[in-house]
Amino acid sequence: MMLAIILFAYPILAALSALMLKSRRKLDFLVLLHALLHLGLGLHGFIKRGSLGAMDDMGLFIFLISSTLYMAVAFYRLGLGQDHNVKAYRVHTIFLMLFIAAMDAACMAKDLGLIWIFVEATTITSAMLISYEHTKSSLEAAWKYLFICSVGIALAFVGILLLILAQPENATLLIHKISYPAISPFWLKISFVFILVGFGTKIGLAPLHFWLPDAHSEAPAPISALLSGALLNTALLPLLRVERLMQRAGLGNTSQQLYLMMGFISVFIATVFILKTKNYKRLLAYSSIENMGLIMLAFGLGGFGIYAGYLHILGHSLVKAALFLTAGNILSIYHDKHHANIKGLFYRNRATAWLWLLALMMILGFPPSPLFTSKFFIITGLIGKGYYLPVIALILLLASIAWSMIRISLSMCSSEEGEKIRLPLWTYLSPALLLLIATVVGIWMPVFE
Amino acid sequence: MIEILVLVFGITLLFASITNMLSSIIRILVLQGLILFGITILKSTHLNWLGFGFIALETLIFKAIVIPWFISDTIKHNAIHREVEAYVSNFFSLALMSLIFLGSFALAVFSGQQSGRLFPLEFGIAFATIIKGLFIIIANKKLITHLMGYLIMENGIFLLSLSVGTDLPHIISLGISLDILLSVLIGVLFIKRIKSTFDDADSPGQLREE
Repeated sequence: MMLAIILFAYPILAALSALMLKSRRKLDFLVLLHALLHLGLGLHGFIKRGSLGAMDDMGLFIFLISSTLYMAVAFYRLGLGQDHNVKAYRVHTIFLMLFIAAMDAACMAKDLGLIWIFVEATTITSAMLISYEHTKSSLEAAWKYLFICSVGIALAFVGILLLILAQPENATLLIHKISYPAISPFWLKISFVFILVGFGTKIGLAPLHFWLPDAHSEAPAPISALLSGALLNTALLPLLRVERLMQRAGLGNTSQQLYLMMGFISVFIATVFILKTKNYKRLLAYSSIENMGLIMLAFGLGGFGIYAGYLHILGHSLVKAALFLTAGNILSIYHDKHHANIKGLFYRNRATAWLWLLALMMILGFPPSPLFTSKFFIITGLIGKGYYLPVIALILLLASIAWSMIRISLSMCSSEEGEKIRLPLWTYLSPALLLLIATVVGIWMPVFE
Repeated sequence: MIEILVLVFGITLLFASITNMLSSIIRILVLQGLILFGITILKSTHLNWLGFGFIALETLIFKAIVIPWFISDTIKHNAIHREVEAYVSNFFSLALMSLIFLGSFALAVFSGQQSGRLFPLEFGIAFATIIKGLFIIIANKKLITHLMGYLIMENGIFLLSLSVGTDLPHIISLGISLDILLSVLIGVLFIKRIKSTFDDADSPGQLREE
């Protein structure tokens, strides 16, 4: 319990002390210390279960992914230029630490009402991070994000109210304390639909995804990495918890069918936009929608699909964060987000080009990426359940995405144009470390209990 | 008395469907805030001063005074055109609202049979309010109207929480308060910041789409 108190006390105290700091380096140091503490506590919680308060294994899994990404982001920030406005950077640093604390609280909470409050807190804090550059497009993106997610999360709140109605007596929002035999299946189903739509909006599931490409592409690279790799998982957590409730209440079939439907729609919509987008950061954002769709498909399959789902969450988070950080490198070399204007990346910055191509291959699921195994299990799981036509459609969609992303990336890396540019070492090491961890995971194949 | 207040609340939704002026929607928000205050007080069986203060803060202060004043101020200072500028006609909007009522009451009657702890009239109107709020968001061009749609939706959720005839966990009250805070944040921080960045007078207008 003491460790849990430290986990939340540090960002609050650090945020207060950041108000008095006037040096960018010192602000970076505060974040780095937070990241080290976060990872240390996460690993301690993993070795000694129960040491992080009430956090269960599912919460700890998401927490550890966030820790790894936060560490990479904290180091990446050390390599960023010093030309930022210190006042704006201070606000950005404070909200970054509060954003991480809100995600931690959402991982730790078991009360659905509390989870909802903390997920909403992540929306408020991360909206401030997205609008950091204060350009017209970043403000638009932050507005869209804040507004659409607020509407979505309000619908999730309706679902939570209906979950109370579903319980004839002693209504509680502590999921593990809900009495399954007594619950009303009618109200539980309606409640689940609202919760799915609500948190699905926050996850970026199609057709509720409109905010995601703007927010993920307009945010600074480290924030995009956290939004895509950590926040989407945190918003997925309540859905996984409620899905367990559905299973125990004997309504698993309904939730799985809905997951499969949302998953397919997301992969389809993502494919359409990946084929037409001209912005490489938006490309990554649509890829997040595709991967969240695949995760929903995995959990929709149940059984072995659940293992594939967790493996996909882990692999996607690590590789996508590496991709967004590398995209940050590309942006600082070219100052342009249109992939048609990016030429000669191999010539201008070989390390960034290698990172980009390797990460791209891994996100597409080439071995030894963990996504290879998870996609394999999803496809075999669908075949095993007799979904032959959807499998063919899924393979075609995934092939189209691979074709489009490889074509764009090769075009970005080819030719010999412009002058060679060197970037700070941290901006290579952070994404490289994430890819290394993803490779180890892909070869090691951890077993989740 | 509660039923009359709930019915008046429902009538405000019909009025929202036929009005073209932003100021009328603000008045609707004020009226809804007052009605919610009235319903909450009438429903409270054991209310102490702290509870009364909390409810008054949520409904009277925020919903009926602060937020409508803020929206009104934003419209005035940003010189936003005073018409709603909806994508659909008033007739269509009214017809759809009637259908929303029909569907919501059908669900409410059915729901009342499923759970004895539910007040069907409140549930039906609350549900219709949430759908109406969503419709206002979808069917209008301006950001400020989107915000109003969101607030109407929030009022619907508040009414829904009152329609569930049981003691709600305290966490729900906290959630409702946080939503109010979020409404203020959306408005103050973003509409004003967007305005300071965008050039044209009707700036909190449309956003680009891809």
